[in-house]
Amino acid sequence: MESLITFLRLTLLSMVPFVLAAQGTMLGGRAGVFNVAQEGIMLVGASLGFIGSYLAGGSTLVGILAAMLVGGIFGLALAYFTTSLKMNQFVIGLSLLFIGTGLSTLIPKLVIGVTLSQPLIPTLKDLPIPLLSNIPFLGRVLFSHNILVYFSILLSIGLWYFLFRTQLGLELRSVGENPNAADSLGINTSKHRYVTAVLGGMLIGLAGAYLPMVYTGTFTEGMVKGRGWLTIALTFFAGWSPLPVLYGSLFFAGIEVASYRFQAGGIAIPYQYLLMVPYLATILVMMFTFRKTRVPGFLGNNYDREKRSL
Amino acid sequence: MTIVRKIAPYVIAIIASFAAAGIFIALTGANIFQAYETILFTSFRTPNGFVQTLLKFIPLTLQALAFTIPLTAGKFNMGGEGQMIVGAIAASAVGIVGADLPAFILLPLVILAGVAAGALWGLIPAYLLYKFNINEILTSMLLNFVSFQIIDLVATGPWRDPVAGHPTTVQIGQGGFLPMLIKNPPLNAGLILALLVAAAVYLYTSRTTGGYELVATGANPRAAAVFGINVKRMFVFSIVLAGGIAGLSGVIEVAGVQHRLIVGLQHNFLVLGVIIALIARGNNLAVPFVAFFIAILEIGASAMQRTMNVPIEMVFIVEALVLLFVLLSDVVRRR
Repeated sequence: MESLITFLRLTLLSMVPFVLAAQGTMLGGRAGVFNVAQEGIMLVGASLGFIGSYLAGGSTLVGILAAMLVGGIFGLALAYFTTSLKMNQFVIGLSLLFIGTGLSTLIPKLVIGVTLSQPLIPTLKDLPIPLLSNIPFLGRVLFSHNILVYFSILLSIGLWYFLFRTQLGLELRSVGENPNAADSLGINTSKHRYVTAVLGGMLIGLAGAYLPMVYTGTFTEGMVKGRGWLTIALTFFAGWSPLPVLYGSLFFAGIEVASYRFQAGGIAIPYQYLLMVPYLATILVMMFTFRKTRVPGFLGNNYDREKRSL
Repeated sequence: MTIVRKIAPYVIAIIASFAAAGIFIALTGANIFQAYETILFTSFRTPNGFVQTLLKFIPLTLQALAFTIPLTAGKFNMGGEGQMIVGAIAASAVGIVGADLPAFILLPLVILAGVAAGALWGLIPAYLLYKFNINEILTSMLLNFVSFQIIDLVATGPWRDPVAGHPTTVQIGQGGFLPMLIKNPPLNAGLILALLVAAAVYLYTSRTTGGYELVATGANPRAAAVFGINVKRMFVFSIVLAGGIAGLSGVIEVAGVQHRLIVGLQHNFLVLGVIIALIARGNNLAVPFVAFFIAILEIGASAMQRTMNVPIEMVFIVEALVLLFVLLSDVVRRR
C-alpha cells in the first residue's frame, strides 16, 4: 500500500515535464508549426531557470520567469523563420535545438564559472490543498504536490476547453488543418501561428526548468536526457489533443518512475536495461498507435497565401 | 562569377557568426582577436594540431554523409550517433574475441562487423518506416539513447579494463589495428577510408542509375513511384547505407584511434554531422570541405578552452549560427 502510494505520487510528480512540453508542442502543432527543438529548449529552460533562481537568491519565481522568457524567444524565432520567412520547419527546429543545447552549458559557465560542485537552488515546495489533502490515499496521491503539478492538470483541462469549446479554439484548429480555408474566412493565420509558437515555447521552457527546480536543485549538462524527443512521440500518439496528452504523460512518467524504482529496489538486472525501457517502450507504443492517430492536416508546412493551394 | 555567388553567403555567414560569438567571448573577459586566432589557426601551427584536425575530420565526414544520404531520398537519419556506437561495439567485440588472429583476417572482420552492426541498427528505424509508416526521425533518435546504455553495459561488463577509471574495455588484438599512415603524431588509415567513402558516395549519387533513383525519390516521391521506382525500398536502402557508414566511423574510432571501446567516444559527432550536412545543403561533394572547416573550429575551440579559459561551447554556438545564417541566405536570395 505504502509503496503504491509512493509510486503514484512520484508518477504524478514526474508527469509534469512531459505534460508541459507536450502541451506546448501540441499547441504550436494545432496551428501547423511543428517544433522539433524541445530537447534544446528544455535544456536552455533548465539552465536559465537554475541561473535565474540562483542569481535572485533562490527565488523560484524568477527562475520560472527566466525559463519561460527564453522558451518564448525560441518559440518566436521558430515562428519568424517558418511563418514569415517560410523556411523548412524541421531544419530550423534542428538549428534552434543546437543553439539551445550550446547555450544551456555555456551560460552557467559564463555566470558561475567552472566549479567543482555546482551551487544548489531551493527546490519547489509541496502545497497540500487544505481539506482535500486529508482524504486517505487520494489526499497524498493527488492533493499534496508542488504547484506545477496542479498547474499542468488545470492547463490540460483548460486547453481542452479552449480548443474544442470556444470559437477561437476552432479558428486555431482550422489554421492547422487548412490555412487556405481559414484565410478565406478572414482568420489571421500568421497571428495564430506566432501566438501558439511563442506560448508553446514558453511551456517547453518551463518544462525544462522543472528538472532543476524539483529533481536536482542544480543544472547538469544534458539533464533532459531525451525527454524532449519522447515528448514529440507522446504528442503524436496523443493525436495532438490536450486530454490524451495528459494521460499519455502519466504513462511516460509511470515508466520513468518504475525504471528508477526497480533500480533502487536492488533487483538483479543491470540498471542499463532499465534505463533503456522508456525509449524502447515508446517505439513499441508507436508501432501500435501510429497508424490510428490523427495529425493536424497542415502540420509541418508553411502557408503562403500568394501560392496556389496544394 | 557563379562560384563567387555560391561562396559569398558562406563567407558572410561565417563572418556574421564570428561577430556574434565575439560578444560572448568579450563577456568572458578574454581578448577577442586572440580567441579568433586560436580558433582558426591552431590546426596549422603544429604537425600535431594538423593531425588532430584530420582525426576529427574522419568521423565528422562520415557522420555528415550518414545524414546526407537519406536526405537525398528525403528522409532524416537522426541515429548516426547510435549507429556509430553500435559499430564501435561490434568492432571491439570482434577485436577482443579474435585477439589472436593475424591482421589479414582480423582487420577485415573488425571493419565488416562494425559496418554491418551500424547498418543493422539503421535497419530498425528503416523497417519501422517501411512496415508501419512510423516517422524515422523519432525512432532513429530514440535508438541513440538505447545505444548509450548498451555501450555502458559492454564497457562495464566482462571485457572491462579494471585499471581504467572510466568505463573502458581492454585493448583489441594488435591484428585489428588500422595501419598507421604517420607514426608520430599518429595518423591512421581511417583517413583514406573516409575519403574513399566520401568519393564513392559522391560518384554513386551523381553518376549511377541507383543514385539517380535515390535523388528522384527525394525530389518527388510521387513522380518517382509513377516511373516505377520502389520509393519505400529507396528509403530503407538509404537509411541502412547511412547506418553502415556511421558504423564505419565507430570502427575507425576503435581500430584506428583508441584501440579499445570507451564510453563517450561519440562525443558530439551526431550534432556536428547534421550541422555539416545542412551547411553543405545536402551536397555530398561539399560535405568533406565543410567537415574540414568544422574540424578546424573544433580543434581551435579545445585549444581556446585550454589556453584562454573560454568555454568550448562558444564554438558550438558559432557552428549553429553559421548554419542558421547559411539557411537565411537562401531566403535573401529568393527575394
